[in-house]
Amino acid sequence: MTTLVLALLFPWVGGVLLLLADGRRRRNGWLAVVAVLGNLGALVALAIRVLPDGHETIVTGGWDGGVGIVLRADALGVVFALLSSFVVLAALVHEVLDGVRSRTFPALVVLLCTGLTGLFLTGDVFNFYVFFELAMISAYVLTAYGDDRHQLGAALVFAVVNLVGSFLFLIAVAAMYHVTGTLAMEQVAARMADVEPNAAILIAVTFFVAFGTKLGLFPFHFWLPAVYAGTRPAVAAILSGALANIGAYGLLRFGAGLLPGELELGSTVLIVIGSASVVYGALLAVSRRDPAEMLAYSAIGQAGYVLVALGVGGPVGLAAAVLYAILNALSKALLFLSGALRGALVAGAFAVGALSLAGMPPAAGFLGKLALFRTGVEEGSVALIVLLFCGGALAFVYAFQLYQHEFWRGRRVAPEEAAVASPLPVRAVSIVLALLVLALGLWPEPLLSLSNDAAAVLHGGPR
Amino acid sequence: MTLVFALAAATVFGVGAYLVLTNDLVRVVAGMVLISQSAVLVVIASGLTRGDAPILPTGDNEPSDALVQAMALTAIVIGLAVTALLLAIVARVRASLHSLEVRELARDEAEHTAEVEQAHEPQLERLDREEAEDEQ
Repeated sequence: MTTLVLALLFPWVGGVLLLLADGRRRRNGWLAVVAVLGNLGALVALAIRVLPDGHETIVTGGWDGGVGIVLRADALGVVFALLSSFVVLAALVHEVLDGVRSRTFPALVVLLCTGLTGLFLTGDVFNFYVFFELAMISAYVLTAYGDDRHQLGAALVFAVVNLVGSFLFLIAVAAMYHVTGTLAMEQVAARMADVEPNAAILIAVTFFVAFGTKLGLFPFHFWLPAVYAGTRPAVAAILSGALANIGAYGLLRFGAGLLPGELELGSTVLIVIGSASVVYGALLAVSRRDPAEMLAYSAIGQAGYVLVALGVGGPVGLAAAVLYAILNALSKALLFLSGALRGALVAGAFAVGALSLAGMPPAAGFLGKLALFRTGVEEGSVALIVLLFCGGALAFVYAFQLYQHEFWRGRRVAPEEAAVASPLPVRAVSIVLALLVLALGLWPEPLLSLSNDAAAVLHGGPR
Repeated sequence: MTLVFALAAATVFGVGAYLVLTNDLVRVVAGMVLISQSAVLVVIASGLTRGDAPILPTGDNEPSDALVQAMALTAIVIGLAVTALLLAIVARVRASLHSLEVRELARDEAEHTAEVEQAHEPQLERLDREEAEDEQ
């Protein structure tokens, strides 16, 4: 019980205090790292107690259930919280070692981590919105980080589009409260089945649009490339490795958890939109030359896979969606962090990320692709399997096109520039991430059982 | 009553969306404020009961739903913070671009992209040439 509270309070208080300090000083940067480490430690302790199939609930303020806000940690929430916290930690360490450029950067990253932890560990629909805004507002400020004035336009577009998404989400929450009379997720899930179908479908569509915007799915993706292309690598890694998890988690929790009937009804639509996302993202990624832009389009494609797996549904589909979301977050963080570095071993780390993105063994991304193929076979759809294969092949093309461009030709562009290797500690972060991705690919058992546990929360069946 | 609320929220949202699509950055922010207010209106309208103020109900009349009021307050506070943030970004855009027009912002960004591409172009051409020589 205390671990759940600590996981939230530690970074929260830390983040607020750090806002007062000058984040450009190295000492304050390391304090921020300590705050995120505290959060990660508490989450690990929580995960040990919650996994494989338990859950932990607190009602804030000691109120009775039904009045107070419910915090609830189950396997799905803990897995996503752990993943996001880890990615945030890696990006923060990377940036602190590389030299922070703005006063508020460390504090904002810590607050973003708090918001993410809160929304993954809440059992209350409205509380989800509050933490969601905490994370998003930090992200709006972070996108403008780097003091490049060209980034301001992207930050503005990012903020406006995502705010419209947030308010749509709020409207959907209000509608959900009106038809079910409660905000607690468990009760909502129980009462949603009796709601009039018209209202339920409308609510489900609004939630889908809100989360689709966050995740950058095909028709709602237009803000994404400009934002990712202009930010610093650490911020791009946080956006695509941690913040995008909100979209994946939201679709899983609200779609499969709270509105399963509507999800089933719309499964064809989800698969079609997901497929469009996969093809569109991959094709545009192949045609780009700028590394950050290429990775941004690739993020659109990768989000499509999660949606396809969700659309297929069932124990296999849901487990694949969770697994793919985890692996994609890790490989994207690795690619963004290592892509901007130079020096020995960095190219290797990048290659591991590229392999993982394309779904080649021994990198961990292979597991995600394999799980997706399983869902395709389960669904019995040839078109789906062909699509998955083409998406993977295109991912291979653009990932290694990028590798060739950055690390083979790059050396010849400007020898004097390439000779300046990034500092060893900065490279070490990417290398550690790459080793983790490799290790997960070589010893996949823990990750597979984690994603099965997480998916079991949603379908309630055997793991 | 629900219909009146729905129409009001839809109108406010529509006006807000129109403003967001205009060329003036301050109007874009005003549009976001309106959209956030329409969301607050929907939250208030989603209350399950309407009646007296929910503080210390006397029992004569049914009290109104307190939960939506708490939610609306929270949403208003978040809306305020977000508006302040948007205005801060707009102020920075004005300070660096000396303009408050979306078109100007887009033009600046396009110019920047073109510059970056041009800076890369000769290098890439040289690389292609070198590679061709290598192959020979």
